[in-house]
Amino acid sequence: MRISEHPILSFRQNKEVHFTFDGKEVTGYEGDTIVSALHALGIWKLSESPVHRRPRGLFCAIGHCSSCLMRVNGVPNVRSCVTPIEEGMVVESQNPRGDLYDHV
Amino acid sequence: MITCDLLVIGGGPAGISAAVAAGKAGLKVLLLEERERLGGQLTKQTHRFFGSVAERAGTRGIAIIKDLETVVAQLENVEISLSTTALGIYEDGVSTALKSGKMIKIKPKAIVVATGAFEKFLPFENNDLPGVYGAGAVQTLMNIYGVLPARRILMIGSGNIGLIVSYQLVQAGAEVVGVIEASPKIGGYLVHASKIRRLGIPIYPSCTIKKAFGQDRVVGAELVRLDEKWKEIPGSQFTVDCDAICLAVGLNPLIDLLGQSGCQFKYIPELGGQVPIRDESMRTNVPHLYIAGDLSSIEEATAALLEGELAGLSAAKQIRPGQSLEARMEEVKTHLRALRSGPVGEKIRSGLSKLTGEALPTPSPRTNAIDELSRTGIASPANLAGVLPDEKRKKTRAYAVIECYQQIPCDPCVHNCPFGAIKPFSDINDLPIVDFDLCTGCGQCIGRCPGLAIFTVDETRDGDRAKITLPYEFLPKPVREETVDLLDRSGKCVGQGVVKSVLNTPKQDKTTIVTVEIHRNLVQDVRQIRVVQKS
Amino acid sequence: MNDDKTIVCRCEDIDIETIRKLIDQGVTSLEEIKRITRCGMGPCQGKTCGPVIAREIAMKTGQPMEEILSPRSRPPFGGVLFQEVLEGIDDEE
Repeated sequence: MRISEHPILSFRQNKEVHFTFDGKEVTGYEGDTIVSALHALGIWKLSESPVHRRPRGLFCAIGHCSSCLMRVNGVPNVRSCVTPIEEGMVVESQNPRGDLYDHV
Repeated sequence: MITCDLLVIGGGPAGISAAVAAGKAGLKVLLLEERERLGGQLTKQTHRFFGSVAERAGTRGIAIIKDLETVVAQLENVEISLSTTALGIYEDGVSTALKSGKMIKIKPKAIVVATGAFEKFLPFENNDLPGVYGAGAVQTLMNIYGVLPARRILMIGSGNIGLIVSYQLVQAGAEVVGVIEASPKIGGYLVHASKIRRLGIPIYPSCTIKKAFGQDRVVGAELVRLDEKWKEIPGSQFTVDCDAICLAVGLNPLIDLLGQSGCQFKYIPELGGQVPIRDESMRTNVPHLYIAGDLSSIEEATAALLEGELAGLSAAKQIRPGQSLEARMEEVKTHLRALRSGPVGEKIRSGLSKLTGEALPTPSPRTNAIDELSRTGIASPANLAGVLPDEKRKKTRAYAVIECYQQIPCDPCVHNCPFGAIKPFSDINDLPIVDFDLCTGCGQCIGRCPGLAIFTVDETRDGDRAKITLPYEFLPKPVREETVDLLDRSGKCVGQGVVKSVLNTPKQDKTTIVTVEIHRNLVQDVRQIRVVQKS
Repeated sequence: MNDDKTIVCRCEDIDIETIRKLIDQGVTSLEEIKRITRCGMGPCQGKTCGPVIAREIAMKTGQPMEEILSPRSRPPFGGVLFQEVLEGIDDEE
């Protein structure tokens, strides 16, 4: 959910950016990271864990914890919490582990 | 290969401060920042900072960073490289970084590492479910991207971060179901605790989390009480419904880069865990390698700013000897000592003495007994009695009630009273004392207190009506003549009052000052208002 | 206390029971635990699990935290694509 009004901060409504998440067309705004855009849409589960396939979401939001790794435009292990969204970007859950063969 | 005098890694408060100090001393500086903008954690800090007015206390973190960005941008010899991740520091003095899809090499004469810290993790069942967030992540989502992290949040940890983020969550429109704390007393500043208590957020001391519930995301948590030996009390489990769990259980210095360079570390829990060994001028055991900020010890941003300046000056002194930088270096060290001198600085002092091997400074006098306030965040009648004027004075003029009962390094109130009614401090950790002969109850101090702990009371009129003036930082803003709910220190509604004035000019900088007419009997109970939502 | 499902290392999906069993078997340094389990070798390089495992070792062995050494960190910090390394080399020539 987006914060529409805030007593201290003001959030500009930027230009819409369209991308896909697991094949579904979704919309974020310029300035969003993949995670912030997905989160605003109520999507918390980003991928599944490498061995036990447990659901994984955002944890640190500064690109240091590995909890948010996703496949972006075919490249695995992208830190979705610090990667800005781009028009036409293809974002996918990596279940369970990113594999470079997918990319090559 | 890029060459420069000083490479600064990390564009948070410490790094910027180092770059500015070295830049002003004439060094060619390259400042690397991983994100798309400078500021580090400051960009998420919507609250007013504590500390000395000389170091921008009373100003919001988001405003401090704007000032710093302006200052550093004006220095032509400081180059800022954003979206650049430092990758390595090698033994031959070469550093590598990733910028625009290229690995670049940098050969500086000296390096200041100011990489900050990383959220501590807590082992409990299902701690990896989506919806278990670090406190930094919650702040990033809501204060940078404007996205509400969740609707009902459980906060783990009552240090300053846990308390501040709880308050910010309510400002953003979320509900905080409670703050739990393993220790028997609140970890952060009590003024922060009081701020969230009067919003009705419970704080559970001697309590920890056992597990999170949920399949694909968090739907609740099981908590358990702890005894005085921090052991779980059998049968004391209870559950809460929440859709997110926010971990604010401390930070670990981010030492990875330094570990590559041959820098030595020591485990000092008071400073945050494994910390680099360094001297008082922020120099490590590796020649030409300096550190600053949370990387050196987990502290407030004010300390990071000062340490950054010190590291920048130290590097400048080494690279360009002959400049008279020592006087300012000594001044900064003095400021740092003052900042850490009070009771809340005791942990840092103890940690630093382990680092330098110096004898522990004499501990400042304090009571070890855990009083009601430090357990609950709610001031007791005894606390309050100590800050009120006598009955005769109450009747003659309005007066300020400063509910600041804990010695913390903070002084904006003293500097913002137009009548000099708050006695000058001899030490930054002094408690404010109001001279009621001078105080007019004008309320100038209310919005300047970073703890939002000042209220003014006017009970000069006859009859049963009196007025209270208080700070308000939520939406919707009340309007004149509107009837609002009156909340006490625990967030309980104790009655209703009519808003008589709403001050919200740019000077208040979004801390609205609201005056409410209430029943005389309630003047020492009401500490928060709630706008009655029209359905 | 059922800690089976408590994850200590998100990168490699290691639970706390695995770590405790290793310590019981005499594997009592972070370096050894890292080599056996891969804790600390994933994308986060031990930032989340390291302090948690160190505390487990301290609790089980009585060893002071001060003496539990962190594994050596080596460049690069974070993941780098070969392409990114090569781009940099092109620039130098």
